[in-house]
Amino acid sequence: MVPTKIEDLFIQLKTDFSGTILEIEAGKFVADQLVPKNSIYELCPFLEASLEDLPLHEVYHLNTMLIVVDTIEYNVDLELIRAIHDVSILIHDRSSVYKHVSQLNQNRNDLILLKRELDLKNTELENLKIIAEKANEEKSRFLAVMSHEIRNPLNSILGYSEMIATEAEELSIIRYANFLTRAGKNLRVIVDDILDLSRIEAGRLELIEESISIKEVIENCVNDFRFQLKGGDLAIQLIEENTLPKFIDGDAVRITQILSNLINNAIKFTQKGIISIGIAVISEDESISTIRFYVNDTGRGMTQDQIKTIFREYEQTQARDQHNKGGAGLGLSIVKRLTEAMKGLVTVESTVNVGTKFSVDIPFRRTHLDSVEYVKSEELVTIDLIGKEILLVDDDRLNLTIMDHVLSKEGCALTLVGDGQDALELLKTKRFDAVILDINMPRMTGEELMRKNDLFTEYNKETPFIALTGNTGKTDQDRYVVLGFFNVLSKPYTFVKLIDTLKKAIYKA
Amino acid sequence: MVSKKVLLVGNFGVGKTSLIRRFVLNEFSEDYISTIGVRVSKKIVEFENQQVKLIIWDVAGTTGNEKVPKAYFLGASSAMLVFDVSRVETYLHLEDYVQTIKELSKLKEVTIVGNKKDLLTTDELEKVIDKINVKVDLVTSAKEDDNVEEAFVMLAKESIK
Ligand SMILES: Nc1nc2c(ncn2[C@@H]2O[C@H](COP(=O)(O)OP(=O)(O)OP(=O)(O)O)[C@@H](O)[C@H]2O)c(=O)[nH]1
Ligand SMILES: [Mg+2]
Repeated sequence: MVPTKIEDLFIQLKTDFSGTILEIEAGKFVADQLVPKNSIYELCPFLEASLEDLPLHEVYHLNTMLIVVDTIEYNVDLELIRAIHDVSILIHDRSSVYKHVSQLNQNRNDLILLKRELDLKNTELENLKIIAEKANEEKSRFLAVMSHEIRNPLNSILGYSEMIATEAEELSIIRYANFLTRAGKNLRVIVDDILDLSRIEAGRLELIEESISIKEVIENCVNDFRFQLKGGDLAIQLIEENTLPKFIDGDAVRITQILSNLINNAIKFTQKGIISIGIAVISEDESISTIRFYVNDTGRGMTQDQIKTIFREYEQTQARDQHNKGGAGLGLSIVKRLTEAMKGLVTVESTVNVGTKFSVDIPFRRTHLDSVEYVKSEELVTIDLIGKEILLVDDDRLNLTIMDHVLSKEGCALTLVGDGQDALELLKTKRFDAVILDINMPRMTGEELMRKNDLFTEYNKETPFIALTGNTGKTDQDRYVVLGFFNVLSKPYTFVKLIDTLKKAIYKA
Repeated sequence: MVSKKVLLVGNFGVGKTSLIRRFVLNEFSEDYISTIGVRVSKKIVEFENQQVKLIIWDVAGTTGNEKVPKAYFLGASSAMLVFDVSRVETYLHLEDYVQTIKELSKLKEVTIVGNKKDLLTTDELEKVIDKINVKVDLVTSAKEDDNVEEAFVMLAKESIK
């Protein structure tokens, strides 16, 4: 290798104004391309049409020009000076410098374009996110409305089918009515699940905090299932620790929902064997007890992959099962969301062909029971409603008929009206033991009637009012209490619930 | 035959090199190799029974407030200012850009070309053109060989005025 000499990096020459090379004055850079009498435009096309315009006796810089020699590109800087008769041209080879500049330039431009693309993608994502959120909200709202619209007629269907089943004499009719009831109940579970899930998603689920006996809540729930499974190949076992706190602050309905979803799930997967349900305190401080509920089954278990998906909505691991017992596949995602809403944690352990264990750990505040509203279930049994004057106010004829039917059997003396206005007239003139009042009614709503309660103090100052409603959010319930309602009976209700609520109200009063 | 020096200027990446390549060699490449330094190509343009030999300067694209070196305009007969119809920042300050080019080059007119029209729908394109408050002479696509020849003929006509 021969080291580069300074002459190799430049060339100095003279041309006339039409670009013809007059003489080489110094330097050797691309010298064999620049021969006197030839045109400099061959190598330097960028000088064409420029030379005559050069200012006289001024150094004119032309930087970063490209010249090509046998496909090799050189970056050159030029200095041009125009004299009277000719032009002096100095050409520097700056390739080594511009090589780096070029790379830097490319990097910079690429970077700017990439950043731009990223920005665009981000805005796009942002927009998609907004659209998705909107759609999701829309979906939740739609589902909530739909479920609500389905719930009311469904309630009537169930009421009538229960009525038919209890009153019919022909066996086949009783059987059909029972089928109808069962199908209706299944449908109601699905509708409730959808409604709950959409409520949770929309952030509208409100948990009630009231003193409850956790033992009783669990036992009631388990007993319901025991009754259902009677005579089958599947048994239920309840393991209770006696260190359980007597009363805690919690939402009995939602706790029952968590547990029954887990038990339902266990039943779906276990053809034969035992489902053990347990409840235990796993940690405790001055005011909080963390309680674990667990459901163990001896079913066919799940793989790790299945476990990953079970809490997703509408995911049915059992879809591949011939033994599909229905449902919208929402149970477990509701369990998860409800548990999380109670600041708890759900865990699953499972071994294929051995069984599955779901645990739910929830922290509860311990309380002492001082509420008069609390009446033990056993006590309720001993109370009766015979001869009690009950006013039923509802614009839903079907519902009135069902309540009338159920309560007449309990021996109540019933008065039925279709709106708040008619109810008000009656309340002004007659005493009732209890009033069951629907909220949404034409002419005068339940709320409006309650606001006018000073108009009927003469006969009904102490009368307990029960709000009958499908809106069962906590804010609604609180509002009803402030309005003077004794209690809330949410639709859909069971006959037992209706009777119990009424008994509690009258007993307290 | 007359030789005329013409320049293509504009933001980096708008497709100056691509327009020239399409016009001179009828080639197009999706790759982006940013131009550093000035590459010159020549082509004879014929229109209305005239022939002009264009000496086309492909100048490195600018960013932001960067200016094209004044020396480049020496002896230039016309200039094409290219922007990218799909990139706002390349036409946002077009008015100022035109002004600067006129000052540097002492040219009375600058041919304004919006490139990459293939990336937009007709509607979108219309909206872009509406947003620009200087007169856009032509919209082109180097990629789809749309209006490229026309743009250079325009430039050539401008150069012999
Ligand atoms: N879709 C589309 N892409 C184009 C068009 N023209 C150029 N491009 C692309 O745009 C990018 C930049 O093109 P260039 O021609 O290198 O742009 P330039 O203006 O010379 O860029 P600098 O030399 O950095 O100033 C390349 O990836 C081209 O393939 C066009 O008409 N349509
Ligand atoms: Mg380029």
